[in-house]
Amino acid sequence: MLNIKKTVENGKAAFALEGRLDTVTAPDLEKEIMGSIDGVNELALDFAGLDYISSAGLRVLLATQKIMNGRGGMTVSNVTGSIMDIFEVTGFSEILTIVQAE
Amino acid sequence: MTKEKKKLRAGVAVNIIGAIVILFAVFGVVVGFIGYVSFTTAFKEEYSVSTYHMADTATTLINGDHLEAYLAGDEAEEYQRTQNYLDIYCKKISVSLIYLIQVDRSDYGRFVSIFNSVDNSVDDSSYTPWELGHKRDTTNDEYRQKYESLYSGESAYETVYRTKVSDGVHPHVTTMVPVKNSSDEVVGILCVQRPIREIHDAQRPYLRRVAISTILLAVVASVFAALFIRRQFVKPIRKVANETARFAKENTKGEPLSGISRYRELAALAESIDTMETDMVSYIDNLTDITAEKERIGAELSLANEIQMNSIPNDFPAFPERKDFDIFASMDPAKEVGGDFYNFFMIDDDRIALVIGDVSGKGVPAALFMMVTNILITDRTLMGGTPAEILNFVNANICAHNKAEMFVTVWLGILELSTGKLTAANAGHEYPVIKRAGGSFEILRDKHGFVVGGLAESTYKDYELTLAPGDKIFVYTDGVPEATDANEGLFGQERMLAALNGVADGTPEEILKTVRREVDSFVKDAEQFDDLTMLCIEYKGQGEERS
Repeated sequence: MLNIKKTVENGKAAFALEGRLDTVTAPDLEKEIMGSIDGVNELALDFAGLDYISSAGLRVLLATQKIMNGRGGMTVSNVTGSIMDIFEVTGFSEILTIVQAE
Repeated sequence: MTKEKKKLRAGVAVNIIGAIVILFAVFGVVVGFIGYVSFTTAFKEEYSVSTYHMADTATTLINGDHLEAYLAGDEAEEYQRTQNYLDIYCKKISVSLIYLIQVDRSDYGRFVSIFNSVDNSVDDSSYTPWELGHKRDTTNDEYRQKYESLYSGESAYETVYRTKVSDGVHPHVTTMVPVKNSSDEVVGILCVQRPIREIHDAQRPYLRRVAISTILLAVVASVFAALFIRRQFVKPIRKVANETARFAKENTKGEPLSGISRYRELAALAESIDTMETDMVSYIDNLTDITAEKERIGAELSLANEIQMNSIPNDFPAFPERKDFDIFASMDPAKEVGGDFYNFFMIDDDRIALVIGDVSGKGVPAALFMMVTNILITDRTLMGGTPAEILNFVNANICAHNKAEMFVTVWLGILELSTGKLTAANAGHEYPVIKRAGGSFEILRDKHGFVVGGLAESTYKDYELTLAPGDKIFVYTDGVPEATDANEGLFGQERMLAALNGVADGTPEEILKTVRREVDSFVKDAEQFDDLTMLCIEYKGQGEERS
């Protein structure tokens, strides 16, 4: 199960994720992001409620990061410990802009 | 098991005909009763009125002024003459009795007879005439009240019915009229008793007629109802039943049922069944196609699985002639084919390459990507170079043709068997686990690069470590720590290390089988969600191992 809360405003898009981003739910997120990314130059992903990310979820992050590289940029915030471990192991921590908010 | 199936009731027609017969029987009883009551009432009314006229006529024969004299024995001639007239009249009008009484007016409880004419021939009766002055008690309260109302002038006449044939008295009607003197005073009561056998005689034929005609009507109506129901309902329903039974057996479209009835409900039923048959036939066709397609895909996938499994070494022991190391690996895709892979092969007599990888996603796309990656790594490794150089090349090649944005994590190690020197590079793969001889399994936090296929500009770095005889390296895919039970709990790194250390001194084969068993007992009945791949090598060195 993955809950996606989306807000798009003045070229800024924010997605707050809750649940598991895995093979089953990754296509949903990809559809949501790709469907609203036109004209967006700042994309913010909030991982506060995310419990798990699989390689299929990482793939969506990578594809989105590649698109946003050519525009304003993409940030990932509130990454929890276990997901941070995955980012570090896979090297995603190197290519993502991870902001640890207050 | 108890007898669950309810016994089926008889057919619709039988039930409806039964209902109609019962209905007519009830109808007949009701009609007969109403007819009987109104018949009897009318009959009584008629008798009452006509008998009253008879009695009224008889009073004209009587001289009301002389009643006391008759009782005293005077006016004997006039008395006898009057008695004779009454006798004749009695015979003429066919009544059983005409009698005149004088009632004791203190309580109307007894009376004295004055005139009394009997005609036993009318009703086969056996009355004997009362003589003049014969005294009697009033028969009952009914008579008492009627006498009183006649004497008081409340009614012009009274009638008593005796319809029950008992103790030798035949059914009769007794009509009483007052007898007055010249001063218009009531001085006596004249009674006419007339047989009413006619009512009884008429009742039986009447009831019989009602019964017979009711039965006839019921039978005729039942037959018509049966024919009607049979033609209009039973036949169409039977057609529907036969057709559905046939359809259940044959699953083919039959003769259309529409038009079997002009009644809306039956027509709708027939139409529904026609539609259902058409739909079912098309579903069955679809299902057959889909099943065939599934079987085809299943066959292809099972062949693909075979090809995939044979693209990596899976005969163990893999190098029975080598005493300087022992290796074991396993791969269990979650679906028929998977995106995980391991590989190992001798580059030359002294160096063995060890590979483990995990493609993003699962199933056929991941499997295709895995095959390409594995071949690229193998070929490039055999051309020489360090793991980092090999991964740089493979990453550049994959990124050049990676429209699907897929990527693969790879750990690649090259072990020099003569020295125990391991050179490795990690492209976003899980941390290896190392066990030094005599120690326990520990996570090796090695240098990490980005995943292969993610970014064209990624580069990788080598790291080195030296294995002593008895050291073991265990590499795995995330299917092991992320094996998930039914409550979405993860197996985790701690459980994995605990499982490894439980067989720390075992052979690579024992180690892998133990980890697999521990994962299975943790996951229990939950479906295996991710591919699960492991590889373990034990370095033994040049015959100087410590064990």
